[in-house]
Amino acid sequence: MTVLPLGILLPEDLLANEFVAVLAAFVAINTIVYVTLAVSKVLPKLYLSDLVDGRNRRGETRSIHPDDAP
Amino acid sequence: MRWLQRSVGLAILGTATLGAVLLWVGVAASDPDPGQRPQQGLLFGVWRVFYDTAMPSGRVLVAAAGVGLLLAAAVAALERRITNRARRSENPHRTPLAPKLVMAQTRGEYAGPVTVTVLIPAHNEEAAIGATLRSLLAQSVPPARIVVVADNCTDQTVPLARAVGVDIFETVGNTKKKAGALNQALREVLPGQGDNDLVMVMDADTTLDQGFLAGAARRMTEDRALMAVGGLFYGEEGAGLIGQFQRNEYIRYQRELKRRRGRVFVLTGTASVFRPRALRAVAAERGETLPGVPGDVYDTIALTEDNELTMALKSLGALMISPPECTVVTEVMPSWGALWAQRLRWQRGALENLGAYGMRPSTFRNWMQQLGIGYGVIALSAYVLLILMMVLATANWVWFPFWLGVGGVFVVERVVTVWRGGWRARLLGLSLFPELFYAMFLNVVYVKGVWDLSLARQASWKHVVQTREGIEVER
Repeated sequence: MTVLPLGILLPEDLLANEFVAVLAAFVAINTIVYVTLAVSKVLPKLYLSDLVDGRNRRGETRSIHPDDAP
Repeated sequence: MRWLQRSVGLAILGTATLGAVLLWVGVAASDPDPGQRPQQGLLFGVWRVFYDTAMPSGRVLVAAAGVGLLLAAAVAALERRITNRARRSENPHRTPLAPKLVMAQTRGEYAGPVTVTVLIPAHNEEAAIGATLRSLLAQSVPPARIVVVADNCTDQTVPLARAVGVDIFETVGNTKKKAGALNQALREVLPGQGDNDLVMVMDADTTLDQGFLAGAARRMTEDRALMAVGGLFYGEEGAGLIGQFQRNEYIRYQRELKRRRGRVFVLTGTASVFRPRALRAVAAERGETLPGVPGDVYDTIALTEDNELTMALKSLGALMISPPECTVVTEVMPSWGALWAQRLRWQRGALENLGAYGMRPSTFRNWMQQLGIGYGVIALSAYVLLILMMVLATANWVWFPFWLGVGGVFVVERVVTVWRGGWRARLLGLSLFPELFYAMFLNVVYVKGVWDLSLARQASWKHVVQTREGIEVER
């Protein structure tokens, strides 16, 4: 009988298993994707329309009062 | 068509799984390194630690970050494009509420000043109705009329409301819950409303912040093409840790909406203001381009009628906004059981509405949102599985400096996004893992929702009632 070095419950060699290696890489990639999204949520949001003058000028009033200047 | 609606959840979860499988296969094909045995080091000359300097290669890092950003940007850009197209539409059959058409129909006419009629659907709300009415009457711009829509009330709701002097509308033979009650009341109220006589629908367990009605009235006065103003809700105080989880969630939601400059996700049932033209158009389109019974404003089959009405208005090209000045305080669920019931209803309702509307440009964002949650379920489960295996299979605690750094970034995000919520909110964000547990809870609700819908289990509309003794869930 071989004696395996044990963690709390599972043999430590388990971590050298190919499945675990793929799982670890899978989780790593997901984590990087999510951390990138987390960073983008912390940083201020930039709107292109603020920097470039677009077609946002109003030609007439949208007020409920017909005579209001646009 | 029913089977199609039932398979919505599975289609979404299937697509998310397919994405995960593709990534998994790609990763496996690259034959990842099983990793080295951790190294041992001495910290400050006394503390023996095990550490592992493993980190993804630069190529993987750049690719993963790039894909994440690209996906987020693509969804945002597409949504923007779809919204802009709907807003510029001039097709009176497909988008009768599009700004250009509304502007043309109302040009040169003055329909009087903006007034607000408030409808409060109430089913045994004696514990909450008083505060709700007080918050309404205390508004700097008071409503012209308040109508409590008493739906099969058996408690003191009606006498309490009558004592404050507001109008009571008692439903007759209504079996269609809140949506049915509102439909009955709207049939009475809507015909008499002019173009600027707004209708506000608010929950009986919600109180308006000062400035809500003034803000909504100002927006509606300035823009006659604006069809609806949605409230931004945040959680009331109390309910301990579970209350704080929900408050943090709502604070993040509010922050996200502000970053979107008020572009609406959902016109929340807690409090939203509509122009009568919008509600009439929805009632007219039911049974045609929209699901539901012709003549009904609210779809009585939908589990989440506010989400459904938002989709309806969006489909008709309506301009809507959730401005930062329109905030409301809503109740938080005080127990995991109540939260489970509430979220299962929201989740299942969202999926059913998607099934009813199908794939159309106006529902693009909702599909992507559900897909995002579906993938999140897989990603978070994989993460938990890996951590469990690591913890159970290692005898010594191993530090991973790179992943600790990544964790640090997550902590910063958790804290910054709830900063407005005060020290308790920040502390909860700082501890990271409780919120991860909360996310896992919501993920389980999501899977359960998909499961129930796919098996066509009868959805029960669990009504959470505040009584004097506390909160109970009616089944």
